[in-house]
Amino acid sequence: MSSALLPPFPEPGFSFENVERNVSLVKKGFKPPKFTSTGTTVAAAIFDGGIIIGTDKRASAGTIVANKNTNKIHKISNNIAFGGAGTAADCDQMEKMVRAHVELHRLNSGKQVPVCVALTKITQHLFRYQGHIQCALIVGGVDKFGYHLHHVYPHGSSSEVLFEAMGSGSLAAISHLELNYKQNMNLDEAKLLIRNAILAGVENDLASGNGIDLCIITPSGMEHLVDYEIPVAFV
Amino acid sequence: MSIESYNGGAVMAMAGKECLAVVCDKRLGARLTTIGMNHSKIYEINPYLYVCLPGLATDALTVYQRLRFRVNMYELKESRKISPQVLCSMLSNLLYEHRFGNYFIGGVVAGLDPATGKTYLYAMDCLGAITIGTEGFVTGGHCEEQLYGTCEALYRPDLGPEELLEVASQAFLSACDRDAGSGWGAFVYIVTKNKVELKSLKARMD
Amino acid sequence: MSSPFTLNWADDSHDLEKTNSQFDSLTPDYLKHPHKTGTTLMAASYDGGIMIAADTRTSTGTYVAGRLTDKLTKLTDKIYCCRSGSSADTQALAAIVKYHLSFYEEEIGEPASVGVAANIFRDLIYQYKYSLTAGIIVAGWDKRDGGQIYQITLGGMLKRLPVAFGGSGSVFIMGYVDSTFKPNMTRQECRDFLVKGITLAIHRDGSSGGCARLATINESGVEREDVTYDELPPLI
Repeated sequence: MSSALLPPFPEPGFSFENVERNVSLVKKGFKPPKFTSTGTTVAAAIFDGGIIIGTDKRASAGTIVANKNTNKIHKISNNIAFGGAGTAADCDQMEKMVRAHVELHRLNSGKQVPVCVALTKITQHLFRYQGHIQCALIVGGVDKFGYHLHHVYPHGSSSEVLFEAMGSGSLAAISHLELNYKQNMNLDEAKLLIRNAILAGVENDLASGNGIDLCIITPSGMEHLVDYEIPVAFV
Repeated sequence: MSIESYNGGAVMAMAGKECLAVVCDKRLGARLTTIGMNHSKIYEINPYLYVCLPGLATDALTVYQRLRFRVNMYELKESRKISPQVLCSMLSNLLYEHRFGNYFIGGVVAGLDPATGKTYLYAMDCLGAITIGTEGFVTGGHCEEQLYGTCEALYRPDLGPEELLEVASQAFLSACDRDAGSGWGAFVYIVTKNKVELKSLKARMD
Repeated sequence: MSSPFTLNWADDSHDLEKTNSQFDSLTPDYLKHPHKTGTTLMAASYDGGIMIAADTRTSTGTYVAGRLTDKLTKLTDKIYCCRSGSSADTQALAAIVKYHLSFYEEEIGEPASVGVAANIFRDLIYQYKYSLTAGIIVAGWDKRDGGQIYQITLGGMLKRLPVAFGGSGSVFIMGYVDSTFKPNMTRQECRDFLVKGITLAIHRDGSSGGCARLATINESGVEREDVTYDELPPLI
């Protein structure tokens, strides 16, 4: 249904109409644009009561702090969430898409949606775009099969893990986790572990900072602790 | 040089107590040459809702037209005015549709709820990654860096319309004076519950 | 119509990003390099079936992204594949093949043969050989031909072999395999042969490491064994 009076609705999905123009602009010597990147430290672990995910709160565009209060813990449903690193827009849109998918799945099945549904949607979407959608995620959740934590890389590979760190601050954070992670930690130990891992990222990575968010997923629900810690010394 | 700074220009929106200031500069450049001195980057969606599109002017116009189409269709279908949150999502989705082959613009959405006086500020990058303006101001454009600095220094919460005009103008002009790509005066919309004023600021013409 | 991704836009932007950013070192490895299973894979037949083995390292550039990866992926009850190359590509492929096999088994009402599984892999890898990086060893047991090992190369060639090795670490153990492997070994001989091979590769290949994972597939089913790093045989 379209005419000169009523132009057609744009096709759903990505539009590639500007690609050739942008390629030729880059060839002419214009610098490509800087996308806002989460420039993140995100860390997550399984503890004896569920899953804990933590992130810093900074988004950067080049050397500029683009956002001092970024939410990098993306809630998919009340039993699934992911922590995202990479291009901010990609992580945000991934959350929107997966949340819609999971919610439709929940309404169709009438049951709590297992973590693998979200994970499969994410990996298949990332694989389809061959790494051009730049988000690295830690997907965590609790379902009838147990506690699950997976890392997902931009090309669409995934793997189940006990603990993981991602983003530009991941090297510092993973060192802390490798050294101090224990199986069967209680909630307080897990909170301290993730808090310290993020702190290691924040202090050693210029692109991470401005505070810590935590998200705890247990069989009884999800607790999102925004601004779990904002020490004054956080630069 | 980045293509986003080809035409220059800067925008800013600042929230006060039940009022809103939306500011843009007047310059339209072609690299270092100024070719227009009356070029607004602010587009009015309705008297309480504005969208600013700094960056490449050709893309800004295209995006505005496409956004306008979607807003009109939304308002016809839903029989109600579009809200700032919906407009922000709409612009974000429009930009993200062009994830591969992006438009070279940023986006600032500023709105005021005339019933409650609550202000809404959003900024986004060229891919549509939304930043919510919880600090009371959002910026965009060529001298974004300077604007961050001046806004953080001068902004105070709960300003009245007159004070807000003063603070927003000072912050904006100070930033623009340190940027060759923007300037030549500024337009300021001061939006309150029952009145919208458009001011034209005079500034250095170099 | 050519895909917009072939326009090299991504490569351009990556190059320019490098010159662009003063904080290039901040660009994390996972955005620059695809995730690879720089791997050592082995498969060998013994007198009652076949055994497969792999290391457990996954790397992105020089960063070890996974220490305990399971590269032995189940396809059906008695067919496994060993994955090497891009982990995204091989995981997606394995999922697709697994789907085809379960559909096929449902249709014919009996377990799929190993050759069918290998040929589905070959089909996909050959068809998409310019966009995939996947070296796969398919191994399993079926009623008709017993234990079988098939290797599919990056270009999509399929070959049935009594012993196979793959991945970046395989170059270090070619001589070892050639001199040590003999047909109709006992299960214990075969196990020791594989563990030693993986150990040799882990020691010499930077992109192989961690532990060794093994699986034995014969008429009675699949048995998995994980050999931790400190249990690997000592080398002189």
